[in-house]
Amino acid sequence: MRETLAECERAGHRDGLAAGLGPALDGAGADAAPGSVAALPSAAVPPRASLVPHPLAAREGVSFVRRPARHRTAAPERLTALAARLAAVRLGLTRRLAERAVDHLSGRIGGGEPLIRRQLVLGTLADARVELEVARRTLRVAGTLPAAVAEVHDRLTELDWELAKLLGGSGYAGDGALRGVVVSRLVANCWVAREATGEAVP
Amino acid sequence: MTPATPAADVGGRTATAGAAGSPAVAAAATGRATGTAAARSLPPAVRDLVAGCRELGAELRTLALAVDRAPEDHRLLRRCGALELLRVVGTPERFRPHPVPAWAREFTASCLGRVAANIELARGDAGVLNACAAPSLAGFTVDALGDERQQELFYGELARTGCWTFFGMTEPEHGSDATALRTRLDRDPAGGFLMHGTKRYVANAERGSVGVVFARVGPTPLSIRAVLLKRPAPGFTGSPLEMLGLRGARIGEMRFDAVPVPEEHVLGRHLPLSRRGLWGANRAFTVVRLQIAAQALGVAHAIHDQVRALRPGRPGHDLVTARLDAARQLLYDTAAEVDARPDDREPACVAKLHTTHLAVRTARWAERELPPSALAGHPLLEKWCRDVCAFEFMDGTTNILRLAVAPAPASHREGS
Repeated sequence: MRETLAECERAGHRDGLAAGLGPALDGAGADAAPGSVAALPSAAVPPRASLVPHPLAAREGVSFVRRPARHRTAAPERLTALAARLAAVRLGLTRRLAERAVDHLSGRIGGGEPLIRRQLVLGTLADARVELEVARRTLRVAGTLPAAVAEVHDRLTELDWELAKLLGGSGYAGDGALRGVVVSRLVANCWVAREATGEAVP
Repeated sequence: MTPATPAADVGGRTATAGAAGSPAVAAAATGRATGTAAARSLPPAVRDLVAGCRELGAELRTLALAVDRAPEDHRLLRRCGALELLRVVGTPERFRPHPVPAWAREFTASCLGRVAANIELARGDAGVLNACAAPSLAGFTVDALGDERQQELFYGELARTGCWTFFGMTEPEHGSDATALRTRLDRDPAGGFLMHGTKRYVANAERGSVGVVFARVGPTPLSIRAVLLKRPAPGFTGSPLEMLGLRGARIGEMRFDAVPVPEEHVLGRHLPLSRRGLWGANRAFTVVRLQIAAQALGVAHAIHDQVRALRPGRPGHDLVTARLDAARQLLYDTAAEVDARPDDREPACVAKLHTTHLAVRTARWAERELPPSALAGHPLLEKWCRDVCAFEFMDGTTNILRLAVAPAPASHREGS
């Protein structure tokens, strides 16, 4: 399990979401999804599949596929393991986002100094580093516990947003880092089976 | 149109918008705003405006997915009665090409009116709202800095052509740090100025025909000027950027390569030096910041409305409602403060900080509250969850605003 998670994280970091999604799914198709729509690498979408169009996801090499009418959702244990591998892919993407933020902030000057020297910015980057280490360990020791895996996804969503904010408008435009973040969140939304909490607290 | 149209009527019209435009969702969207303590605290004229804007918001929503999919398709926008009304309503009364309904007049009468209206309009759909060919930020700046002829030039063009406007401040290398902007106005030996530089994240960068661009004539902050620009002009080009959300705004980049700027297009020439540039436009920026905050709250409401319609009776709804109502009250109170003290910039920073954060939190809550694949399965909800992120990057990011509202150091006497 540990090596699989590490490989998924490497794939996400090195090659991006679509490349990491393949090993994360480990052969699971649309029929395994817990909801009515599955997220698959576009290259792995079967012929005649019913697609939910999403241009941003398409640019990331990801497609949304409606689950077949007759299907058998994967067993809970299998879905949790899949969600843990997917979280590891997202960890890799988040690391990439953090690196991009450092690069961006090192080259931007505000008030006569690089933005990366500002305390507010450094605090966010330091928090991100801590969060990444904790998320990785959580997947290692609690990757079979659905609530723990779901929480890692939630924390990664939060962390991605904090990092994306550091990129300013450039993160929100074009091929900006936020696109991968947005699509990875949608992918997680398709594969993480969770019982709604009914609570409004974040 | 009257502001007293029953909610069921609005819901029926919205039913064409797809899953999220179902009558149940529309009814949820329209049925609550007037019932809150915040809404009841509004003056009657603003309450009428809110009711009218709620109807317009329902019409905006019918275009939401189409505009997100193909924001370059202007035919839909030009056929939208709500957008046409908003364009005229947002224009100062003396420049309107035709009168507007009585309930709509409050829109330009006060900051409170603008804020209350923007919540309801964005609750319909913020992406379509931002596709409106209205005076917008350029209009605020022309109001604040333009002399009579400049105002006639700007608003006359709008009235004649119904064109989109642009506002160029942010630059690729300097973000929203206006005092560091590099776009420059060089003296043209033939008279007037020549503009050189690039602006990025400009709404209507490609399609806007008239607008305002900030540039400097010298190295100091006091040498920053706002100028009116019209298209076409030699050396003036623009292109849209592919944005993740709020795509109706057609945000893009503008480039200026020796663009001629006549002397009479420099705004604020009739004002003292200290009121010509950034400082002169500060009041306008404060109102716009609150409008953005109001739109963020409107999108949060739209998200909550849909979750409530999809998962009625869940225990978390009341707490989310309370959060949104408190944010609405904060915005109303802040807008009233701005009307009373327009030079105080901090309250608007507080309001924008909170509402943009709350809107993002509300989107995350929706994601957790709904069953798996709810976002991919409900395109309008998924779109709003992208749209809410945009407000963070408009008119002051979180960190910039945090610096603005942080308290000054207390003075300590030695030995105390």
